[in-house]
Amino acid sequence: MTTLLIHDEIEDIPRELMAEPLDWFFAEHFRHRQFCRLMNEVAVAHVFDGERITRLVEFLRNDLPLHIIDEEQDLFPLLRRRVLPEDEVEQALGMLSAEHKADALAAQQVRDCLEDCLAKQAAPGMDPASRKVLQGFATQELRHLALENAVILPIARLRLSPQDLESMSRRLAARRGIVLESTHR
Amino acid sequence: MIESLFDNNIRWAATRARVDPEYFRRLASQQSPEYLWVGCSDSRVPANEIVGLDPGELFVHRNVANLAPPQDANFLSVLQFALEVLKVRHVIVCGHYGCGGVRAALSGERHGLIDHWLHPVRAMCCRHAEALETIVDFDARVNDVCERNVLAQVANLAGNPFVQDAWRRGQPLAIHGWIYAIEDGLLRDLETTVDGPRSAQRLLYGPLAKDPAPVVSPRRRRAPGRTR
Repeated sequence: MTTLLIHDEIEDIPRELMAEPLDWFFAEHFRHRQFCRLMNEVAVAHVFDGERITRLVEFLRNDLPLHIIDEEQDLFPLLRRRVLPEDEVEQALGMLSAEHKADALAAQQVRDCLEDCLAKQAAPGMDPASRKVLQGFATQELRHLALENAVILPIARLRLSPQDLESMSRRLAARRGIVLESTHR
Repeated sequence: MIESLFDNNIRWAATRARVDPEYFRRLASQQSPEYLWVGCSDSRVPANEIVGLDPGELFVHRNVANLAPPQDANFLSVLQFALEVLKVRHVIVCGHYGCGGVRAALSGERHGLIDHWLHPVRAMCCRHAEALETIVDFDARVNDVCERNVLAQVANLAGNPFVQDAWRRGQPLAIHGWIYAIEDGLLRDLETTVDGPRSAQRLLYGPLAKDPAPVVSPRRRRAPGRTR
C-alpha cells in the first residue's frame, strides 16, 4: 500500500504521450509539480520516511537531468530556429536556461541533503537548514514550471511543425532507450 | 597505458574476424563510401559510431569547429578526392552543441594559433552580433553559433568550385547541415540541404527571380550571412 501511494505521488507518464511531445512536456511539468509537492511535504515532516526521500533522490538523479536535456538540447534550440521576431521569446528562454544551470547546482545540494537524511535516518523537517534547502528548491522549480507552461509551450504549439514534433518525439524516446519508427518511411 | 590500445586493437580485429572472416580482406580491396563527413575534432563526436556506419562507409574530415574553409589545402584535398575519385553522394557538415572552438571564438580571449583558425567563426559572430546579443545565456548563445556555423559551412561548400563542378557534370550530390548533442548522442537535421546549383544559389543569394512568392511560414530558415 505504501509503495502504491509513493508511486502515485509522482505518476509515470504513459509512453504513448511521446508521440505528442508538447503534451509530453506538459505532463512532465505536471510530474515536476507532483515532485515539488512531495518535496514540500518531506521538508516539513518530523517523521523519517525513507521511501519518500528515496523517491525524491531518484527523481533528482534521473528525471530532472533528462528533462533539462529535453529542453536545453532539443526544445529550446528548435524553438529558437522557428520563432518569429515578434514572438520575443528570447528573454524567457535565456532566463529559463540560466535557471536550468542554477537548478543543476541546487539539485545536487538537495540530493546531498536528502542522502544525508537517508544515511542518518533523520527527517528533514527536524533540521531547519535542510527544510529551507528543500522548500527553496521546490518554490523555485514551481515558478520555473509556470513560466514554461505559460510562455514556452504555447509558442511551441504555434510555431513547431508536425515534422518538428515527430522528430522531437523520436529524440525524446531515444533518450529513454526507446526507438520510435518514423512515419515518413 | 598506451600498450592497452594494442590490446584493444587485437580484441577489436579478432571480434570482427570472428563475426565476418572476409571482413578485412573485403575492406582492403576497395573503398567506396557514399558520404563525406566534415565534423569537429572533439573526441566525443566519433563520426562512424554516431551514424552507425562501418569502416569503409564514411570518408571523414575533422578539424576544430568543423570548418570548410575555401583556402585550406587539407580540406580542399579531402573534398576533391571525395567528389572526383570516391564520388560520394552526400557531404555532411556536422557540428555539435557546446563546441569548444565556437566557445573560444565567442569568448573574445586570446588562445594562440587557434585564434587564426577560428577567425571565420568570429567574423560570423560579428555579422550576427545583434541577434546573438539577445541571447542572454552564454551557453545558449554558443549553441546558437554552433548551428549558424554549420549553416555557414554548408554555404561555403555550396559555393565551392569542386562542388559546383560536380553538379555541372551531373553528379548526384547533396550537402547537409546537422548538429549533434553530446549530452544525448542524437543528431538534429538543420534542414539546410542543398542538392544542386539552384538550391545552392538560393542558399547563397536568397530566392531566385523565378521562384514562387515566399509563403509566410513558421518554419523559417536562417540564411547564412543574415541576421534574424
